[in-house]
Order: sequence, then C-alpha cells, then structure tokens
Amino acid sequence: MTEKENGTLLEASHVTKTFGGLVAVNDVSFKVPRAGIVSIIGPNGAGKTTFFNTLTGLYKPTTGRVTFEGRTITGKPPHVITKAGIARTFQNIKLFRTMTALENVQVGMQPRLKSGVVASIVHWPTQQREERNSEQRARELLDFVGLKRYYELSSNLSYGDQRRLEIARALGSDPKLLLLDEPTAGMNPQESEELRGLMETLRSERGISVLLIEHDMRVVMNVSDHITVLDYGEKIAEGKPDEVRTDPRVIEAYLGSQA
Amino acid sequence: MEAAAVPQPKPPVVRRVASAVWQNILWIGLGAWVLFYLVQEPTSTLDDIKTGISNGTIWALIALGYTLVYGIIELINFAHGDVFMLGSFVAVGLWTWLGITAGSSVIVIILGIAGVLVVSMLATGSLNVMIERVAYRPLRNAPKLAPLITAIGMSFILQNVGALWHPLPTSVPDLIGSQRTLFTVLDVDVVRSDVFAIAVTLPLLIALLTFIGQTRYGKAMRATAQDPDAARLMGINVDRTIALTFLIGGLLAGAAGLIYALYNGTIRFNQGFTAGLIAFTAAVMGGIGNLKGAVAGGLIIGVVQSISDDQYGQQWTEAVVFAILILIMVFRPDGLFGEEVRPG
Amino acid sequence: MSGAKSRAPALRSGFSNVRNMLPRWAWMLIFLGLAIAYPYVVPDLLGGGAGDDLLDASVNTLGYIIMALGLNIVVGFAGLLDLGYVAFYAIGAFVIGWLGSGQFEKVHLDFITDVPKALPGLHINFVIVVIVAAAFTGLWGVILGAPTLRLRGDYLAIVTLAFGEIVPRVFENWEFVSNGRQGITPIDRVYLPGVGELNYPIELTGIYFVGLAMVLVTLFVNIRLRDSRLGRAWIAVREDEVAAAAMGVNLVRTKLWAYAVGAAFGGFAGAFLGAYRNTVNVDQFEFGFSVFILCMIIIGGMGNVAGVILGAVALSMLDRFILPQLNSVPDAIGLNFDLTAVNFGIFGFFLLVMMVLRPEGFIPSTRRKLELHAGEVEDAAADRSAEVAPGEPLYEARH
Repeated sequence: MTEKENGTLLEASHVTKTFGGLVAVNDVSFKVPRAGIVSIIGPNGAGKTTFFNTLTGLYKPTTGRVTFEGRTITGKPPHVITKAGIARTFQNIKLFRTMTALENVQVGMQPRLKSGVVASIVHWPTQQREERNSEQRARELLDFVGLKRYYELSSNLSYGDQRRLEIARALGSDPKLLLLDEPTAGMNPQESEELRGLMETLRSERGISVLLIEHDMRVVMNVSDHITVLDYGEKIAEGKPDEVRTDPRVIEAYLGSQA
Repeated sequence: MEAAAVPQPKPPVVRRVASAVWQNILWIGLGAWVLFYLVQEPTSTLDDIKTGISNGTIWALIALGYTLVYGIIELINFAHGDVFMLGSFVAVGLWTWLGITAGSSVIVIILGIAGVLVVSMLATGSLNVMIERVAYRPLRNAPKLAPLITAIGMSFILQNVGALWHPLPTSVPDLIGSQRTLFTVLDVDVVRSDVFAIAVTLPLLIALLTFIGQTRYGKAMRATAQDPDAARLMGINVDRTIALTFLIGGLLAGAAGLIYALYNGTIRFNQGFTAGLIAFTAAVMGGIGNLKGAVAGGLIIGVVQSISDDQYGQQWTEAVVFAILILIMVFRPDGLFGEEVRPG
Repeated sequence: MSGAKSRAPALRSGFSNVRNMLPRWAWMLIFLGLAIAYPYVVPDLLGGGAGDDLLDASVNTLGYIIMALGLNIVVGFAGLLDLGYVAFYAIGAFVIGWLGSGQFEKVHLDFITDVPKALPGLHINFVIVVIVAAAFTGLWGVILGAPTLRLRGDYLAIVTLAFGEIVPRVFENWEFVSNGRQGITPIDRVYLPGVGELNYPIELTGIYFVGLAMVLVTLFVNIRLRDSRLGRAWIAVREDEVAAAAMGVNLVRTKLWAYAVGAAFGGFAGAFLGAYRNTVNVDQFEFGFSVFILCMIIIGGMGNVAGVILGAVALSMLDRFILPQLNSVPDAIGLNFDLTAVNFGIFGFFLLVMMVLRPEGFIPSTRRKLELHAGEVEDAAADRSAEVAPGEPLYEARH
C-alpha cells in the first residue's frame, strides 16, 4: 500500500537533531494523516519548534527521515519543501513588515506563480493576468482569515491580525499541510475560538491537514484528532486527546513528578 | 534547549582524518605553498619568511584592533586602517618637529623614538575613541548597514586629512639605521628594523594579553563581548568598556604606524586602505574576535605577502591577499582558531 | 501597474502629498519632456564653455544614473550590501574596449559601423556592444555573487569590496586584454544607422539622447521588476530570509538574479561611458567609485527609484562642480596628485552625517523609512487604530 493510499500525508521516522553535543530532538517518529488535525504539545524547551524546523527544512535532521506524500524530503531546502506542499507560520511572527498585508500573501504565493524575469520585464498579457489573479486570490485568502485591511502595512496591524495574516500568507502556496507554531499565543479566548474554527474549516472545506504546536489546552483538546507529547526532545506519549489528558507521564512532564 | 548530552559513536579514524584535512584544506594549501618555495629556493624564501614575520608584526597589531572591536560590537571598523596611517603621519610629524634625524645622537634617537611612540599611540588611541563616539555609538541599534557606511565615511575623512597633510609619498628619516645587519641566521641577514619591529610588538602583546586576561577592565571587555546585556546587569559600564576597546585598538594601530614608518621608509596617505584590508584578512584568518588568532594571522599574511612579492611581483600580491580573504570568508569564515564572537 | 494599488496609505509625507496631485504617468511625461528639452535649452542659457561643461557632466550623469539604478536592485531591493560595484563598471567598459577599438589588432571584423574597412581590431556596432556588455557583465555578477550567498551583512560587504579590488587589479596586470596602465584608446565613435556617426565631444546632443534612451530602458526594466513576483521576492529576502525561504522563495536564485541584473546595468553603463570618454583605463576603476554610486542610492533613498535618480544627479553634479571649488588648496600649492581621494573626504563627511541623522535618504521609500524608524512608526500606528470608527469591526471571522 503506498503512502497516498493509506492516508498518511507526512511521516517522520526516527528524527534526531543534535547541535554539537546537545540533543534537541531524540528519535521522534510521527505521522500526520490526510485531512487531519494533529497537535504537538510539551513543556517549553521540549524541542517542538526544533522538530518543526527539521520538517520544514530549516534544519537538517542529524539522523532520521521525513517523507511527504511518499517522497523523501529529508534535508531539502525550505523553498523546495514549501513547493511540495508544506507551509508554516512562526512562533515569533515573521511577517514582512514593510509590505502590505496583500503583498505578504503574494509572497506566500511564490511557488505557485510562474512569471520569471523576462516575463516580468516584458509584462506581456500572461504575466499581467497572473499578477491580477494573484492579487485577487490574495484578497480571497485575507477574507478567509478575516482580514479586511488588504492595503495596510503588516506592521500596522493588530497582533491578532498579524497572526491571521501569517496564516493567510502560508495558505498562499496552496499547501496540503499547514504547520502552525503556537498560533494562539497572545490571543484572547474569543480569538482562539475563531482560530480553532478556522482550522476546522481548513480541514473540512479545503482538505488541508494541520499540524499544530500549541500551549492552549482548550484549543488542543477540542481540535486535535491526535496529540503527540514531547519532553526533553523525546516523544513521551501520543494518542487521542482523552488518552493524553490522563496519561501520567504527560502530567508529570508538565507539573513535575509528585514526591 | 534542554536535553541530556548523548555520547555519539566516533566515526572511523580514516574518515576523521579525511574530514579534518578537508576542513583545513586552506591552511594545508598555504603551508604547502610556502613549503614549495622553501624547497625550491631555501635562502631567499627564508629571507622572505623573516621579512614576512617582521611585516607580520605590523599586520598583527592592526589586526588586533579589528578583532577586538568586532568581538565586542560585531562591527568592522572600516576606518581602522586609516587610523594606522595617521599613526605613521603623527610619528613622522613629531620627529620632524623635534628635529630628530638620522644624524642625531643615539640618546636623542632612542628617547625620540620612545617618546614619539608613546605620543602617537595616545594620539591614535584617542582618535579611535572619538570615531566610536561620533560614528558608531549613535547607530548602535541601527541595521548593520548604517555603521558600516559611517565607517566608510570616516575612512574617507581620515584619508582626506592624510592627503592634505602629505599629498605625496613622504620619506621617513632612517632613525634606526634600518638596513644594518645585526646578525645572520641560516644565511639570512636579520637587520635592525626586523629586531625593532619585534622589540616593539612583543612587549605590547604581552601587555595586551595581561591586560585582557588579568585586569578587571579586561574581564569587563570579555564579559561585554560575550553578552552586553548581562554585563550591563552586572554593573559593567558597557559604553565605557567599548570605548576602552577602541582605545586599545587605536593604541596598537599607532604603534603599528610607527613601526611601519621606520620599517618601510616611506609613508603615503592611502597606505591605510590596503593595510586595513590586509590586516582584516589576518584577523579573519585567525578567527575574528580571537586575539591569538589575529597575531597568528598577521604573521602568516606577512609571510604570504613577502613570498608573493618575491615570486610573483608586488603588483599581484594585493590580488593574492584578497583572493585569500575571499577564500577564507567563503569557505572557512571561522578562521584558523575559531571565531570568538557573541553566540547566536 | 500592480504596485500602485498595493502601496499603502500608511505614511503620508509632504513629498507624497505633492506627488499625488497628478497620476504617475503624468509625472513621468513631464520629466521626460524636461529631459528631452534639456540639452537644447539649458546649455544655451549658460552659453559657451560653461554650457558644454554642463552637457558633458550631464552625459556622465546619465551613465551614473544607470549604475545607481543597477546597484539599487542589489542593495536597495535585495538588501545585499555590495561595495564592489566598480568591478562591473570595469567589465562593461572593457567589453567595449575589446569590441569597439583596435585593441585586438590581429583580428579584423566590422559590423554595422562606419570605420574604415582596413582598420584592425574588432569594431562592432555600439548597440550590439552595450547589449553584449550587459549580458557579459550580468554573467560575472552571478559568478562573483555566488560565493557571497551565505555571508552575513558585513562579511558580504568586505568580500564584494575584495572582488571590487581584484577585478581591476587583474585587468591591470593582464596586458593582453587591457593594454596595462595605458589603457585602451581610442574607442570607436557611436554609430547609429540612419543617423550616422555621433561626433562627441564636439556635438554632445546626440550622445546625450543615446544615454537618455539607455536610462529609459533601465528605468523600464527596474520598475517592471520591482512590481513583479521577483521584486517581491527581493524585498522578502531583504527583510527576513528565513521567512522568505519558508514561503517558497528560492534564496539562491533570487539573490543571483539581483546580482545578475544589477551587474548587467553596471556593464551597460560601463560600455556607454567607455565609448563616451573614448578611453578605458584601469585608473578609472577604484573603490572610491563603488562608494560614489552607493552614496547616490543612500542619499537619494534606497529602494526608491525616483530618489535614486535624484541622488545620482545631485551627487554627480556636486562632484563635478561644487567639490573642485572646495579643494583648491592642493591646486594652489601647484601639486598634482590623485584628486579623487580628497574629494571623497567631503563625501565621507556627507555619509557620516546622513547615516547619523537621516539614514533613509532624502526621498525614502516608505519601506525604508519603516525599517529605520521602527519605533516611531509603531507609536503612530497605535494612534491610528484608535481612529477606527466605533461600531466598525476591526475584523470579521468567517467560518
């Protein structure tokens, strides 16, 4: 049975990442199904973002393999992985601050746009049409996440809007898998709820899988099909929300061991 | 990032040696190059090596200035080479003003050199501090482009000053009888200027290392280089520490300027530009931020320069040094001994 | 133009208030008209020698404008600090030295030129030569840029500086291609079929218009690229490489394109200036020139095309007419030395003051202003969001 048939979108096998003598991610194996919402949780410093970074090509895994739709993407550069269909947001918002919201999303669309240097210079109808379409599509994506201020400079947007813009930008590349790194950080409960709804919509309307790093347990428990728990770079538990919630190892990791 | 350190199995010896060779291919290449000429023309190459080491002391002193400043504020002090140039100018100017010439009595010459050394070092030291205050401090939080541009601007201003002072190359009185052979080793004549260069540089280096390593000012410098915010929180006056760093860099550049003047016999207002780039190459070669590396780099570059002058002609040497700079920065930016800059 | 609408209303300045009085194409027509009328009107106003002087400076300025626009792509758009732009000037100039002179005496080749058939050397038509120069130099932009791709800002600057030094040095020592310190001279006159051979320096109007045409081509390419997918990629790379890569921007290719296009314009202008000055000589190429062009875009406002042009004009005229007045000291003593180093002392002062007081230049792009005054902008934004009318939701979520 091929990867496509059994519904696994992304698979990480025994991924380890070391920096010098420091092991940040230790032998983590992991699967993300098609049209699924999966979360990674764990105390601070557990290696969650590092793991993300190895999935998206920012870091090269020291050992281990990552495949996406059956194809190996281990160690490929970030832009190749994005083109393959994985997009992400960042824990610390990394918007292009001197660009408008619209332009930010257009950058997100880079792998889907085709106009090269010559086409851009000559500005023939194909390129003109592509640019118009890209603007149109960017506006649609901004609408989808609930941002109306298309032409506002991204640095002028409110915090919540910036987080939403990051998602719109990531959606620009038409991903099949969206990696969100602490997307509700700094949001109030209402905003978090809306974001949760957004994720559900992404899955149900567009068939996009979501892989989530999150600290907000309400969101995690309500939205996830499956949760993986990392601590000290290792996977210490995984399963459905109810299973993980009551797993003693998880409780210990978060609260420290009882005397 | 928390995790236990996991012992990793060591790859086989052959692989490690091969990897080590590849990693250090630049140094090995340079060594082989020197060795080649040493075997081909032993005497003249030894002579080149001797000249190279003497020249190298000058580069080492200037390189220390670059490396100290970069280590503490991660900035290339573009104007540093021109500070060196002004050091030469000040020294020559003072000797002229005091009427000290090659014909003066030995006592006068000795006192003249020592005194002028101190004064020109102080002059360049203060100049460097002023440069930091005017051109770099206001831009400490600006994107890196800005202080680099001001540094270039400063360099041009200083060159302008030099050009107005001595528009044409000016000869330096031969106060130490620089070409007089003092002794001969392995068929190579060691002349007075060689000894002079080492005699001035060595004490300065020892003083510097002692200062950085043993005094509390030195500790403050090292702390600030590691983590300025933490240093500030521990009560270290970061501004003053940075100024001190520039002062020391300037002092060393002044000494280098004086040595250069006596060693070279001629000074010109654009000597700083080339010297700066050569010394910067030395600093990067040794590992930017690394003091011992700067000294080693200076000596190595001096030797490379000498041999290149001899074998390929002076007109190619500049290109050779710059090519080495590019190779290092692209393939081995952490240099011979590893960088010592702020982590992250 | 897709760029116009997405320009944000976020920052208003006096300049943009004036600018918005007329649509963009109207402004461009006005300036074009002025530029076309210029050589006929202005030099006559000055009359005689001074008029010729001004026109000569203007032709040189046109070359510098092209280069400034080229460097603006590398430094202003893509954020790659290049201190060695003079290398591309040199390469372009030597291309016309090879293809439009008697340098390679053993070959005889004429192509759409007016030179006597018996003349040795390669003599190719000017228009073809500048295109070849642009392409060839663009290629070298890639070659010299490739090693720098992973360097951080200040290291990048030094390596480009080193390249900027090596290239002229290599030319100088390689007599076969450069004729050593003597340089290559004369360079063929520009010959345009239908118009004939231009006889500058006697009659400068013709070559002025050639230069103007080249500037317009450069401008066109610049603006088209700026408002394109590649232009956005450049700015993304400048702002945040990591985020750009994560969005699918191929960092290597994007940066190499910046170098290629930027260098191509350097060669484009280099060939033009080589022809105009009738000589190509390594003494024309030194570090100070790289800084000269860099200054133009810094002072004019990096990233902003109009500002860069203004900076180029201002600096070129300053260098040509004002500075020599200020440096009369060495002349008074009757000494003959390299004047450029002294001129640049004044430039240096300018740079210093500029960077400390107004690093975004005189006509900054809104972007650059934002980057350099981030703190102030944040406060302004806070004020503005308070102005949203009550009842108007700041956002709507859609499910």
